Amino acid sequence: MEPKGRLKEIKAGITPTIKELKFTISRIKNSPLSILGFAIIIFFVIIAISAPVLAPPVCPDPFRIWQDEFTIGSARPPGSSIFIDFNGAQALKQGYTSHIFGTVEGMDIYYACIWGTVGAFRIGFMVVVFTLIIGLIIGCIAGYYGGVIDEIMMRFTDIIFAFPGLILAMALVIALNRPWDIDNGFLALIFLVPAAIVIAARYGFKFSTLWSVALGFFGLICIILFRNILKSPSLLPMTLNLTDLDKVLIALVIVGWPGYTRVIRGEILKVKQEDYVEAAKAVGCSDLRIMIRHILPNTIYPILIIASLDIGSIVLLAAALSFLGIGAPYGYADWGQLISFSRDKIYAGRIEPWKYWYTFIIPGLFIAVFTLGWNLLGDAFRDILDPTLRRK
Amino acid sequence: MKKVRKMGMGAFIIRRLLLTIPTLIGVTLLIFGVTQLFTPEQRAVIFLRQDPRRAGAIEGAIAKYHLRDPIIVQYQMWISEVLQGNFGWSLTANKPVLTAILAKVPATVEVVMFSIPITILVGIFLGVKSAEHRDKHIDHATRILSIIGYSLPTFWLGIILLAIFAAALGWFPISGRLGAGALNFVTSRFSGWRTYSGIYTIDGILNGQLWITLDALHHLVLPTITLVTIQIALIVRVMRSSMLEALGKGYITAARAKGLTKKEVINKHARKNALIPVITLAGLMAAGLINGVTITETVYNMDGIGRWAASAGINIDIPSVLGFALFSGLIYVMANLVVDILYAYIDPRIRLE
Repeated sequence: MEPKGRLKEIKAGITPTIKELKFTISRIKNSPLSILGFAIIIFFVIIAISAPVLAPPVCPDPFRIWQDEFTIGSARPPGSSIFIDFNGAQALKQGYTSHIFGTVEGMDIYYACIWGTVGAFRIGFMVVVFTLIIGLIIGCIAGYYGGVIDEIMMRFTDIIFAFPGLILAMALVIALNRPWDIDNGFLALIFLVPAAIVIAARYGFKFSTLWSVALGFFGLICIILFRNILKSPSLLPMTLNLTDLDKVLIALVIVGWPGYTRVIRGEILKVKQEDYVEAAKAVGCSDLRIMIRHILPNTIYPILIIASLDIGSIVLLAAALSFLGIGAPYGYADWGQLISFSRDKIYAGRIEPWKYWYTFIIPGLFIAVFTLGWNLLGDAFRDILDPTLRRK
Repeated sequence: MKKVRKMGMGAFIIRRLLLTIPTLIGVTLLIFGVTQLFTPEQRAVIFLRQDPRRAGAIEGAIAKYHLRDPIIVQYQMWISEVLQGNFGWSLTANKPVLTAILAKVPATVEVVMFSIPITILVGIFLGVKSAEHRDKHIDHATRILSIIGYSLPTFWLGIILLAIFAAALGWFPISGRLGAGALNFVTSRFSGWRTYSGIYTIDGILNGQLWITLDALHHLVLPTITLVTIQIALIVRVMRSSMLEALGKGYITAARAKGLTKKEVINKHARKNALIPVITLAGLMAAGLINGVTITETVYNMDGIGRWAASAGINIDIPSVLGFALFSGLIYVMANLVVDILYAYIDPRIRLE
């Protein structure tokens, strides 16, 4: 074929996509609420990117809020002066002239809010990425193969769904609280043996992928049971020390993955019957190739967008954990934690109730506006991406 | 023609009950899995019926409940203890976990008891109004309010209400379930107060002490508003969209053509059918309520299971947190069971297979 003809063909192939994209953008432009949501998120992104300029770190760890050591236990209004202790001297050197939003527990609220934005994006993105990866893998396998594997996995998501998210996350954070004794040998076995079983079964014995994966699972369960029965002394003792944030991250991922898994499975069930999948099968493509090259590209974009718009609710859940005192460690730049301090201040300030307004109004606005932005955008996108509502 | 097998209500309930059993086993397995993250020494507290701070209590429990044995043996031991109502010893409440839960449940039930009907009634009303006047001011206002309610952190809303209406204006008390006078009366041995349910608003009426009921209600206003605001957004949104769908149906046009007034059509024809999807929300709402109650009780300092669980979380009181998680998991499964049965009762299409 001539190069020019090929170019034309590619163009013709892309045109509908571009047309749809233009339509999507025009829909977003026409909805004031989604524009507002978009603006809010851009605003927070700018804050997060320019955080080192807006609030230069005072402590070596930028996520640690700098504290007036003299005024721990009290709150001071916006614009109050900085005590010249060790942190104060550092802060003056960095160009701070006063506590712009005041302090609570001696912590600078302005600094906490700015770096809390970075923290919120960080936990939000990390949870979304990990839940998506797990959701994609499990959703694909369950949706594509169906049958027993599907049944087992869906019952497993049912069980996670049977708990209210916050409560399960709470229990998990507590459960992860101790240093985890995992010996390297066991850790290696957990990954290597199932992988070896799957590869041997698939390529050695020419089992179908379904049965190879099932055997791998079986192997994994056997290892865990055997280890428990034999209580083998560890080969290379290793202690896995999780930071408080790791615990929150793991808990939120465990709570979050079933939701995406179900959505992805549903999408794949829809696409699985399409002619192009049948065609690929007829040509003799492997299951993996069909999944990655044919099914995923046709399902993944709406899922990606919906998942990333979930950042708002993830941040809200993380903030609720911090508010209860189970999430971020003390002194870590986190909006929820600031508000938990301010609650004590309201009880204390009963005589002059509004005296401490800055301790909860300012960080609260940050959380509320942040989640509002994601929800506005999410609402608009759900309507736009839903093919049944799209052209209404 | 495809043959449709009809299923009676009784058969459906039995089938649904049977389907609940694997889920319940799964719920216990998950909690048991979480216990396996702890060392046997830490895990022992989950089995104790008495204060673990006695010499030899932990070692005794490890030996007695086979905590160093294989997983399957441990699960058997644990599940038989749970079935006997032994969830371990709560350090935070200083009593067995089940006793603590039962002691603290009335406060939680009291808040939930008031917030559920309000949420449902107001939510349905707003949803219908919003759909009825689509793209008018009332619709926009309701939608914006529901998005805001959906985005507000529960704890922040609680604190704002507390600061405005309790601290600044002084209309409502700042914390607790009863004022000092009422609390004295209720806990005093000589006042003749009898505890029937532990729910002060009901006990007040039963004891003939209406002022206690009023005082309890006074304390309940802000927590109820907080819970309702957070929960209502979901109902309004679903009610609005299902009402819009119902209004577009042929039988509505038929009813209008028949000469019925708009009000009659909306109230009698559209709303009834639009209600069905809302019922499925009840399960989601139950989960939202358990989450919300935990935070609301912490904010308003009410002595319910939510606040207890949160404080147990801070103090790393393992049996209490796991007991609460198991408890709320069971509640949630039961709520979903009831919802499904209700759904099948209202909409016979569900029962058809």
